[in-house]
Order: sequence, then structure tokens, then C-alpha cells
Amino acid sequence: MAHGKIRCLLGMLGTDVHSKGIRTLAQLLRDAGVEVIYLGEHNSAEGFVNAIIAEDADVAGLSFSSATYVHYTRGLLEKMRAAGVGDVPVMLGGLIHAEDEPTLREMGVRGIFGPGTDLRQILRFLAEVTGKPLAQGAAHGPG
Amino acid sequence: MQSPGDAAAEAVLRGDLRAASRLISRIESGDDSVCAALQLLYAKGGAASVIGITGPPGAGKSTLTDQLIARYRAQGLRIAVLAVDPSSVRTGGAILGDRLRMGRHNTDSGVFIRSMAARGQLGGLSAATGDALVVLDALRFDRILVETVGVGQGEIDIVTHADTVIIVQTPLGGDTVQAMKAGLLETGDVWVVNKVDAPAADRTVTALRESLEFRCRGLGPQQWRPPIVKTQAVRGEGIETLWESVEAHRIHLLAHPEERETQRRQRTRVLLIERIAEALRGRYRTVREGNEPFERMLDEVLARHSDPRTAVARWLRQQE
Repeated sequence: MAHGKIRCLLGMLGTDVHSKGIRTLAQLLRDAGVEVIYLGEHNSAEGFVNAIIAEDADVAGLSFSSATYVHYTRGLLEKMRAAGVGDVPVMLGGLIHAEDEPTLREMGVRGIFGPGTDLRQILRFLAEVTGKPLAQGAAHGPG
Repeated sequence: MQSPGDAAAEAVLRGDLRAASRLISRIESGDDSVCAALQLLYAKGGAASVIGITGPPGAGKSTLTDQLIARYRAQGLRIAVLAVDPSSVRTGGAILGDRLRMGRHNTDSGVFIRSMAARGQLGGLSAATGDALVVLDALRFDRILVETVGVGQGEIDIVTHADTVIIVQTPLGGDTVQAMKAGLLETGDVWVVNKVDAPAADRTVTALRESLEFRCRGLGPQQWRPPIVKTQAVRGEGIETLWESVEAHRIHLLAHPEERETQRRQRTRVLLIERIAEALRGRYRTVREGNEPFERMLDEVLARHSDPRTAVARWLRQQE
């Protein structure tokens, strides 16, 4: 029987080096039954897109702590579409300002999870956009 | 009419990377419909040299892989990498972090890196590794590097998949008796002592050399003797020698077709036995509560009327 697991690519673009949040998320997702492909810091959009293709990622997550995220996200989404993987859902985390959310959503960002997000929100998002199951009870357990 | 398997296989043969990575995902999830594609790809395969890299956690396997990719790229060869990391036994989740050390190759179209979770398999490789290798082979990469989960003493199933096996150790890996134990020492075509800047590195190399010489006693002059390469992977030191040793082993196999055939036959034999065992495990994993003969056996063992070994032997005879 097929039992596909959620494969989630996590990483940071550009010069952003505040990786504590995304490393914490990686471990929380692992404990929810997700296979996290962790790319770390200093990725280029092109490298990130190639990793999405090679890893057959179901979803990609980026963390930002600097103000340049609109610029970086736009570049990434354009390259994803050009490479034929524009259908892979993208989620953002970190210091995302509320006033930028409409712009980001219009670009095609599917999930935005700022500071203080309940893990269960992220898990429900992953289950919804991938259509794949999490570890039993993960989306209902302690956030 | 074409089956979807054929379409996937043909896309892979055209070099379609996304089709290949999707096929690998279907392999990983245990989708039986991949058989048609695998059949087609396997028939056309066997061209790439597969190089396995194994050793304990933290020995530097990913960093060495990164350096080897760079060396092969300098030579102009196209390289695929399968990097296997452990799955959580509790939740089935995983953090696949090997790519982190190979990030500089993400923008190189001559390099294809795929991470896999071991998904409950012992021995450092995912059960799907063999099938994933069939796909990468069909993409016509010149070399395929397989980085295993960090392994300890016994479990080394990379030898059934790789033409050349690199075993990485560090000077931090225990005393000299470790190197004399069975297991890893009986295999390995190229040995690496990484982190040679650490204290007592020379002692590790000496102990390893003694043990390998003992293993190689009685070998004919034409037979391959595993070299020991000293590296400091993070600084790129020793990589040229490592590359030369790996290529020397490949050339050795090409120059000794009989040895190569014996090796392939033995490897494939083990591989098939493993696959049979795996299929049987899968079949008996479905023994659920309520299976009467099974419950009777369980009761007998619990009451100590029968020991597990005897009970299972009898139960299996009844299943035939």
C-alpha cells in the first residue's frame, strides 16, 4: 500500500542567518511525522528551486528575519514557475509584517506563519496543501 | 496503450529530472505500480559506477561527499548523490540534513542530489535505495555517490549496491580493538581516516593498517588491497588522493572482469535474498489480532509451553 510521507523543504535565502526558528520548526515537523529536507542558510533562489525538483518536495518553507523578504520571495516564485514547479506550495515564517501579507498572498504564497504561530496551524496547513497524512494525532496534540 | 509506468520510464530516459524525482517518491511510498517503469529502466541500466560512503555518525561522510562531487565536477563528470538519513522510530518523521554540506552544488546542473529517509531499515540504507539507484542510473550519470546513515559495526548493506565502498573512520572512534572486530573491516575498498588533525590520528591509521594487512594476508598480487587515505575533509586535504584511490579501484575492476563478475554475482545474490526477506517481513507484519493459529502460538509462548524459536518454526511449517 502506498503511504506517502509529507516531504517539506526548509531553508533560508540570501544573507539571512537567523536560523534558530527554522531549525526548531524542522524538529517539530520531524516529530509530527514529516520528512524535512533541511537546506540551511545562504541559498540562492536557483539552488532552492533545483532542490525542490530533485527532492520532489510537497511543500517549501522559508524563514526570514530581514526586511528583504518580499523581494526574495518574488524572485523565488518566478524561478519556480519558470522551472515548472510553480504548483509546489510555499510557506513563509519569521518576521513577516502584517501589511505585507496581501502582497505576498497575491504573489502566490500559500501560508504565512509569524512569531507566536501555533504549531497545529502549520500542521493543518501541511496536511491540507499536500493531501498527505501526518503522524497519528500530530495535528491535535500540544501545540 | 501505454501504462503510466512506461510513460514515467520514458521521461526518465529522456533525462527529465522531475519525472525521475517523482518516480523515486513513488518507490519510497511503496507504490507497486512502479514495477513497469523499473523493469524498463533496469533493462537499460548498469552503466554508472556506484560509490558508497559509509561510517559512523559525524565521521564526515557528507563533507567528503561534497568534496568528491567537486573533484568529479572538475573532471567534467555528471554526478548523482543519494543521501540517506535516519527516520524517527517513534513518529516516522526525519530531518534530512546531508544536503546542507553540499549546498554549493545546488546551482550546478551537472549534479543531482536526492535525500532519502531510511524509513525503519537497519543497515544504513533505505529499502527503496536499490530501486532509486535504478532510476539514477537510467539518467546516465557518470558516477553515483550513495551516502548511508551513520552505521556502527555490523550493518553494512551498502556493499550490495556499490561497486566501490568507502569506509570513513576518525581518530575519535574508540580504541584500537574496535578496528579488529568483525563487520566493517571485512569490507571496504577504500578506507578513510578523516579529521587527521585530531590527536592520536597516527595511532588510528597504524591500527587500521595492521588490521587490513591481516585481512589481506593470502591475497594474490593481482588482487585489490584497500588503501588507507588520510583526509581533513573540511579543508579539502587528502581529497585528491581519495579520488585517485576510488578511481584506481574502478579501473582495477575494469581490468579484472572476472573479479568484477564474481563481485556482481555475489552482490546481486545478497540483494535478492534481502528482497525476499523484506517481502516476507511485509507479509507477516500483517498478522493481526484474531488470527487463531497465531493467537494459539502466542498463548503457548506466554504460558512457556513452547519457546519462541520452536513455536515459530512449527508455525511456519503449518503456513506452507
